[in-house]
Amino acid sequence: MSERPTRTSWDKQEALARPVGLSKGGREAPVLVCADIERRFGGLRALKGVSLSVEKGEIFGLVGPNGSGKTTMVNVMTGFYPPSSGTVTLFGQDVSGIAPHRIASLGVARTFQNLALFKGMSVLDNIMLGRHTAMRPSALGTFFYWWWSQREELAHRRVVEETIEFMQLEDIRNEPVEVIPIGLQKRVELARALVAEPRFLILDEPMAGMNQEEKEYIARFILDAREERNTTILIIEHHMDVVTAICDRVVVLSYGEIIAEGEPRAAIADPAVVKAYIGERAARRQAGAAA
Amino acid sequence: MFYRRAGIRHTRYQDERQIWPLPFDRRLALLIFLLAIFAPLLIDRLYLVSYLLPWVIWSTAALGLNFLMGGAGQIHLGYGAVIAIGAYASVHMVRAGLPFELAMIGGGLLSAAVGMIFGATALRVKGLYLAMATLAMQYIVDFVIIQFPAISGGTQATLQVPRVSFLGVEVTGDLAPYYVALLICLLVTLFMLNLRRSSFGRALAAVREKDYAAAVIGVNTFRYKLLAFWVSSFIGGVVGSVLAVCYYRAISPDQFHLDLSIQLVAMVIVGGLGSVLGSFFGAALILFAPILLNQFFGFAASELGMTISTDLRSHVPLMLYGAMIVGFLLWEPLGLAKIYANLRNYFLVWPFRHARQ
Repeated sequence: MSERPTRTSWDKQEALARPVGLSKGGREAPVLVCADIERRFGGLRALKGVSLSVEKGEIFGLVGPNGSGKTTMVNVMTGFYPPSSGTVTLFGQDVSGIAPHRIASLGVARTFQNLALFKGMSVLDNIMLGRHTAMRPSALGTFFYWWWSQREELAHRRVVEETIEFMQLEDIRNEPVEVIPIGLQKRVELARALVAEPRFLILDEPMAGMNQEEKEYIARFILDAREERNTTILIIEHHMDVVTAICDRVVVLSYGEIIAEGEPRAAIADPAVVKAYIGERAARRQAGAAA
Repeated sequence: MFYRRAGIRHTRYQDERQIWPLPFDRRLALLIFLLAIFAPLLIDRLYLVSYLLPWVIWSTAALGLNFLMGGAGQIHLGYGAVIAIGAYASVHMVRAGLPFELAMIGGGLLSAAVGMIFGATALRVKGLYLAMATLAMQYIVDFVIIQFPAISGGTQATLQVPRVSFLGVEVTGDLAPYYVALLICLLVTLFMLNLRRSSFGRALAAVREKDYAAAVIGVNTFRYKLLAFWVSSFIGGVVGSVLAVCYYRAISPDQFHLDLSIQLVAMVIVGGLGSVLGSFFGAALILFAPILLNQFFGFAASELGMTISTDLRSHVPLMLYGAMIVGFLLWEPLGLAKIYANLRNYFLVWPFRHARQ
């Protein structure tokens, strides 16, 4: 792992962070603080001044209708789209506009909405790649493999095997990654993210297209990752049952703006959220039926 | 069956991560290695010098290009120019009195430096555009070599390679050049075999497959693309010096034209992108297919009494050879190596086909 960021300017971050109701490590500095993020694509304002903070050890949900800017938000956090204005602070370090691979080496891992596994490689090699930041790859190390690389390779293999066991991927570890079912591929991608031992894990729709059983598996892995590895997790998810079951706190986005936040059940029941999801008239009708 | 896969259980990661986990493959590799070592005793000198030696050298070159195209997914249409830089640089160094070993590394370094400059375009362009950028390298290098008499020794001139020695052995006659070429080939092959199981190779493959996903796991795609060009061009430069000293013995600009680059790309594609074995297969096919076809038509003309005009005789092999490359692209894009892999997979567990793995 790369060097940990020094503990400076926490106070400023605390000031930036919005006061949050529910969070486990409320007194510790937040893992992620996004302050007034704006992202424009030409004339389109995909994010219109979004501010949020993720506390250490929490499972934080980012929800919202399609096209509300959730993935854009994550792309801003991980350095793919530098924010047009506003700042992203990770572990107390300003990372706005820093390249994705450097953000990864700070201890941030993520998965993608549409799988981003490496075809033509085995499941094992894909997961081994998750250890990249912890290894020292070099051309000479490859040439002198037996003397320079083998020991490192085997040491990291042990770490990878722990995660393979944790994610129950033992029997497919040697399969080419493109031949296994989508549900398993999603799990492999999660394993690749976890094996980096991230301090902050971002999951972009980890359960898209899964059946109930597979969803429950993934939910269990996410909870275990938090319990056993003390990982802070940000999750984008459309399955509201999952969001309410595992998230400590959610932020609801719509058209690039935060329309609700807080405890999941309360936030999702918020009239503005209902309206964003099913439209104003349907929301009114539903409210009428309830009354 | 032949490969005796059944019952082999590795209990250490180390054993599982061997270059050849199956004992059969290891023995096969050893056999081929021994055959290569004792080839001068087994085959005629003429065949050694005019078939085996070029095959070894071109296979090494194909490996170097395969590193870039198959390993890192960057196309290069100017690899002939990379080899030319290595050849000219090392010959000039040898002529200036530098020992061949150093000249070889020097040629490699110069190739690597120039190759990386052109490779830097890979940071901005991909696919077809990168092909054009590397094609430009081919023409620029050709032009520079021809236009500067200090490099080429004058227009249409050939540059003689003086007598050199490698690790204390004089590189003359038939045997020494063959063993020098074989040693370099062996070193490059080992590098390529290790690439598949090292973090460096995996990072390159990640850049090849999806650069944004590579970035998110911490791979600096910028650096790795440049490194890929550096390493590949270094290998190309070393091959160039071996080619000049061990095979051509006198070099002229026309030996390194675009045809060479295209042939090398054909070797890599026909052999199999990203496959070590494929580079050897590809080099063999591209080198020997025209010769064999030519001989076949010669045989048909003389023995079977077919009337084939000399014009046709000289062109048909080339046409068939072109058709073959098109055929590979259409029906087996992963090349000869894939055909071998399919056969091997079939026989791994034959006749118990249900027992895959």
